[in-house]
Amino acid sequence: MTAFLIRRLAFAVVTLFAVLTLVFLLVRIVPGDPAQVILGDQASREAIEAMRVRLGLDKPVWQQYATFLGGALRGDWGVSMVTGRPVIEEVLKVLPWTIELTLVSLLLGTAIGVPLGVWAAVNRNRAVDYASRISSLLGLSFPPFVSAILLLLAFSIALPWFPVISARTGSAGAWFQSITLPAINLGLITAAYITRVTRSAMLDVLAEDYVRTARAKGVPWRAVVWRHALRNALIPVITVIGLYLSILIGNSVLTEIVFSRPGLGKLIVGALNQRDYTMLQGMMVIYTLIVVAVNLMTDLAYGVADPRVKLQ
Amino acid sequence: MQREQSGRSRSAQACSAINRAATKATSSFSNDFSSFDKVEAPDKATVKITLKNPVPGFLGYLANYHGGNMVCKKAGEEMGADFQKKPIGTGPFEFVEYQPQQYVKLRANKQYFRGAPQLEEIMYRYIPSDASRDLAFQSGELDMLYGRQEQTWVERTSKLPGVKVATMELAELSAIYLNTAVKPLDDIRVRQAIAHAIDRKGMVAFKGPGVSRPSVSIVPSGYLGTDEQAPLYPYDPEKAKKLLAEAGHPNGITVKTIHTTLPGMQSVIEAVQAQLKKANINLDIELVEHATFHAKIREDLSPIVHYQAARFPVADIYLSQFYHSKSQVKTPTAVTNFTHCKLADQDIEAARVEPDASKQKALWKTAQEKLIKEVCGIPIHEQMQIWAYKDSLDLGYELKGSLNLSPAITEKTRFTK
Repeated sequence: MTAFLIRRLAFAVVTLFAVLTLVFLLVRIVPGDPAQVILGDQASREAIEAMRVRLGLDKPVWQQYATFLGGALRGDWGVSMVTGRPVIEEVLKVLPWTIELTLVSLLLGTAIGVPLGVWAAVNRNRAVDYASRISSLLGLSFPPFVSAILLLLAFSIALPWFPVISARTGSAGAWFQSITLPAINLGLITAAYITRVTRSAMLDVLAEDYVRTARAKGVPWRAVVWRHALRNALIPVITVIGLYLSILIGNSVLTEIVFSRPGLGKLIVGALNQRDYTMLQGMMVIYTLIVVAVNLMTDLAYGVADPRVKLQ
Repeated sequence: MQREQSGRSRSAQACSAINRAATKATSSFSNDFSSFDKVEAPDKATVKITLKNPVPGFLGYLANYHGGNMVCKKAGEEMGADFQKKPIGTGPFEFVEYQPQQYVKLRANKQYFRGAPQLEEIMYRYIPSDASRDLAFQSGELDMLYGRQEQTWVERTSKLPGVKVATMELAELSAIYLNTAVKPLDDIRVRQAIAHAIDRKGMVAFKGPGVSRPSVSIVPSGYLGTDEQAPLYPYDPEKAKKLLAEAGHPNGITVKTIHTTLPGMQSVIEAVQAQLKKANINLDIELVEHATFHAKIREDLSPIVHYQAARFPVADIYLSQFYHSKSQVKTPTAVTNFTHCKLADQDIEAARVEPDASKQKALWKTAQEKLIKEVCGIPIHEQMQIWAYKDSLDLGYELKGSLNLSPAITEKTRFTK
């Protein structure tokens, strides 16, 4: 177990280094000048050059890379080229919003998806099964920004229950109002994925000999399904949840924008539009760290779900 | 928007603010003040400005717009580069907080010299999604809204109960700029053909007469020095075809433009593409994201550039930025001249320092005529600024226009219910 963790952490360091280098180069390859964006379209070439010097963009790329890498190793992600404030400060301010949205959506998706998948598998080719398959297909086909607008039209305009600007803080009620619609929007899509995978895994497991044996022994059907079958069907479900957690963080970009909610997604799109190199670099590192951490946790969860899985 | 430190001579503060705006290291608007020779404070209530030469629209540079905003000297000196994080000035509202991509929060400056503002706080929210912005306004979470520059949007929003929609100045001139140094645009007959193929009235009908108006010159209408009767090329696609044939292109031509994906501008260039097609001119549009568009056109990579802009309303600014050779892109002093035209340089420079107002206007008129005749730029239409706000919001003045392109919130702005 310890060797496994050390190996994975070493792998994470290499991944992080590769991402740092790639992001550093990519943001500079994309056309667009941060100095121009900051100063606006009436700025003279002289003013833009002066700003480039101030931002350190006049230095050779290798020198900029060395400065960036040196800072990163010391835990210093630099300051935003646009706001002049430390990148880590800006990222940490909005990170809790993204994590909160992702986790609540995932919990909602799992809470709906797993039981629905099990129910559909147990009732294969019956009305319940067809209904769950159609609804999960709908969930997968709906682009998140379309469902977000539909949710707002229904529950913020027609029925004024929730705010359009989902950025309220201060009390449990305000938190609930701000998280509900964005979490439903992402949670339903997650539920669609999980339902399909759970159904498919359960169908495989329910056809196994040991399930038939358990039933022949007189074990109650409910216990067979939930204790024997589901536990064995969980490995692919955990894989999907792990994978989808990373996708969810990406999907949160559109949801954050439509619901006007603070978060990494909104910040990253703004930084990209403004060519805020330092901010983009810092955020990509955070994204990479989250994905690496989620993958690690997914691997560890296999062992918990099925003790036969040994982490080597 | 800000609040000054008390206890200092106001005139000394003003001198310091103007000098700061005129200094390259601290201001991106320093070029606007290049004709300022000396700024002095002979007493506590007087600021004396000595100019190197007459400056058209001089008072505008001292208004609260761009470099004219007053800056607290002490804060500017002590905070240095950090001043942008907490700006301090002289306005009715003071800066509280800025959260990137989220909001700017301002609160009333109770000591404002024209009286305490009637609003306690202003939250400017950044809501990039058009649909979400509209819905937040509809649900009552926003009191004022930046509108879409579309006729249908204006009609739809005007019908909402308790809502006012304002169509205001400054209009942005939508124009195409032709690189006269590259083939086939180096041939004036080709450029004239393009000018004849643009239907300005048709474009206004397409955008909507409630949100746009026909262009009158290569400078927006209503500016000091605009030639309101400029000799623009009339719409005549048959003549355009003839001119192309004369230029050796009987089967038409293909020209390229690099263009932004901003929806308002994209719809215009696509309509231009359709108009040009009628004259056998095939406009090849390469769509790129907005920051990339700005980078590429400044690299002189787009033979035709579509640009939409409003400027300080004096002809000198528009002519200097878009048509003077000093502003030519890819030069050390570049701004936004994409045309490689320089035939009006002398007129623009002479007008800038001409003390006689009528002679000055005549020089600007000549410059516009020359540039139009040479087809360096072709104006398409003028796009008005669209804002919507609750009818319970009393701005405290009659809204006609704003240099900042948004209605100013002053100390008199209040809610009536």
